[in-house]
Amino acid sequence: MSTIAETSSQRQTRRRVRVDGWRWGGRIFLVLMLLYTALPMVWMLLTSIKSGFAAMQLPPQWWPDQPTLDSYQKLLDPQNSVGQDFLRFFWNSLFVSTATTILSVIVAVPAAYAFSRFTFPGRNFLFFAVLLRNMFPAVIFLVPLFILMRAIGLVNTHGSLILTYLTFGLPLAIWLLKGFYDNIPVQLEQAARIDGATRFQAFVLIVMPLSAPGIIATAIYSFIGAWNEYIYAYTFLSKNEQLTLPVGIQRFFSENTTDFPGLMAASFMMSVPVVVLFLLLQRYFVRALTEGAVKH
Amino acid sequence: MAHVVLKDLVKTYGSFKAVNEVSLTVNDGEFVALVGPSGCGKTTTLNLVAGLTTVTSGDIVIGDRVVNELDPKDRDIAMVFQNYALYPQKSVYMNLAFPLQMRKLPRDEIDRKVKEAARVLDMTQLLERKPRELSGGQQQRVALGRALVRDPAVFLMDEPLSNLDAKLRVQMRSEIKRFHQDLKATIIYVTHDQLEAVTMADRMAVMNGGYLQQYDSPAQVFAHPVNMFVASFVGSPAMSLIPLEASTANGDAVLTSAEGWTLTLSQANARKIQGATSRKIVLGARHSTIKLHKSAVPGAISAKAYTVEPTGDVTFVQAFLSGAIVNISVSPNIAVAPDEQIWLEFDQERMHLFDGESEMALRAS
Repeated sequence: MSTIAETSSQRQTRRRVRVDGWRWGGRIFLVLMLLYTALPMVWMLLTSIKSGFAAMQLPPQWWPDQPTLDSYQKLLDPQNSVGQDFLRFFWNSLFVSTATTILSVIVAVPAAYAFSRFTFPGRNFLFFAVLLRNMFPAVIFLVPLFILMRAIGLVNTHGSLILTYLTFGLPLAIWLLKGFYDNIPVQLEQAARIDGATRFQAFVLIVMPLSAPGIIATAIYSFIGAWNEYIYAYTFLSKNEQLTLPVGIQRFFSENTTDFPGLMAASFMMSVPVVVLFLLLQRYFVRALTEGAVKH
Repeated sequence: MAHVVLKDLVKTYGSFKAVNEVSLTVNDGEFVALVGPSGCGKTTTLNLVAGLTTVTSGDIVIGDRVVNELDPKDRDIAMVFQNYALYPQKSVYMNLAFPLQMRKLPRDEIDRKVKEAARVLDMTQLLERKPRELSGGQQQRVALGRALVRDPAVFLMDEPLSNLDAKLRVQMRSEIKRFHQDLKATIIYVTHDQLEAVTMADRMAVMNGGYLQQYDSPAQVFAHPVNMFVASFVGSPAMSLIPLEASTANGDAVLTSAEGWTLTLSQANARKIQGATSRKIVLGARHSTIKLHKSAVPGAISAKAYTVEPTGDVTFVQAFLSGAIVNISVSPNIAVAPDEQIWLEFDQERMHLFDGESEMALRAS
């Protein structure tokens, strides 16, 4: 008995040591990655609460002597011209991103469902065609789309951006959602239809609730895509009152001497919605909602 | 409850014929099993009856209505799926209530029926659980409950037991059979397991390659298979099918093996092979109709035991004759060793003879 216990404990120790080597390597790597991604954001936050003078000091102040929320107050003050612009850009971004998201969900949900459930002539070709758009760098389409937008009179309107963002966002949304629908067993709808639901009811009552995490995830993806987009917004819009945040921030702060604390405060506030949405997104990805629906 | 009639039912996918002119009648209150190997068209047939797939040609009648064009919801059927297809976001109670809600029954009546079904299936204490919190057997029960809560004209079951472990399967098999007897329900039951079909069904429809091969009571199918496919599919271990050649010797009809041995046929069997289209005859024998001798006996054919599988009640011996596997069952107190010389005697009364060309059973005309 004692010998067996000894050998097994020895074996356990040996195994644990070997795993630990790799595990420590992994931990160090993850910590480095964390620093790499988090430090710029920390620096952004720190700079945003410095005074303009403190921000330019060398050697830098790691922690500001006199932390101040002046930059934030200025940006959020509708009486101030800087604040007026910032709030307008923020609103423009919010409008463009929300409209893009809503439209993309409205189109992507039925499209993805159709790709997942129905066989129709040209299905594979169409699905590939949908993805084709995302196989090229976005900038390739800049000039053609600009010419197109000018031809249909959409230059300098938010509509041009919404349409453009849909061409990026929709394929991805359809593709993502199709994956979700593929994972929902078709038998659930069949059961619902036999239980007395129409095809549409089966979709709305059974499939939609199950794909809610997918729909939310896709919606957040399109929102973030539209929210962060720069090149098209920069090209299609030239009037100051129409600019979205990514373009607006840059325009506005590089005119005279750069107000770094203000720039950083604006950047921080711009990233808040994205960070919040990402946190939500994470929760929905982890959830396995269809567990228990069918036996595999 | 209602009867179901399939008339010349055809379903094609492109050039592939999944279901080929299948005609059969399921009587009111009858338990019919559609059985066959995978890809034989049994599930497609069931989906056609359910309305989940559209009919290419032919008619489906449920009760007195032709339902070809009706939506599944209007066919008054209930279905139990192989993977149960329980609504994962709904509790057991809501799963059972869903078919009733869809039919817009009053709330108190729904409540009464759900509780009644739960009581019958002995799962009252599970009503608030979600499907993922149930064991496989319990999920199976909920699926059954969702079907019976509505009192449909026909129950369709698509391999409902194949996801259960062996022990539970046997238990649920008798429960479903009991359920059929109590409810006098019309049931169409799809399975690839011939044992399920034989044990549960009033009649079984054996399918292969989209065609209905034989439709009869399990006893009849077992005793009088119409062709070699049915003969080998029904029964376990499978019927041994030995390819032979017909000829005459000394005025008697004999079957000759390529291995050199011959088998003299009885008068009755000799008459049967007169109807054959060629001299190629296949001899079919179930394991229990072959007698194993450990020494030479007149009329017995010598062979070598290949494998020996004791099961407790009975020992199965496999041997090769004319290149075909022959299954023989012997009493466990007869010791047979692999590679031992044995002699096999066929029971002329209970042997089956098939036309080697058409693979159809040869019957005395």
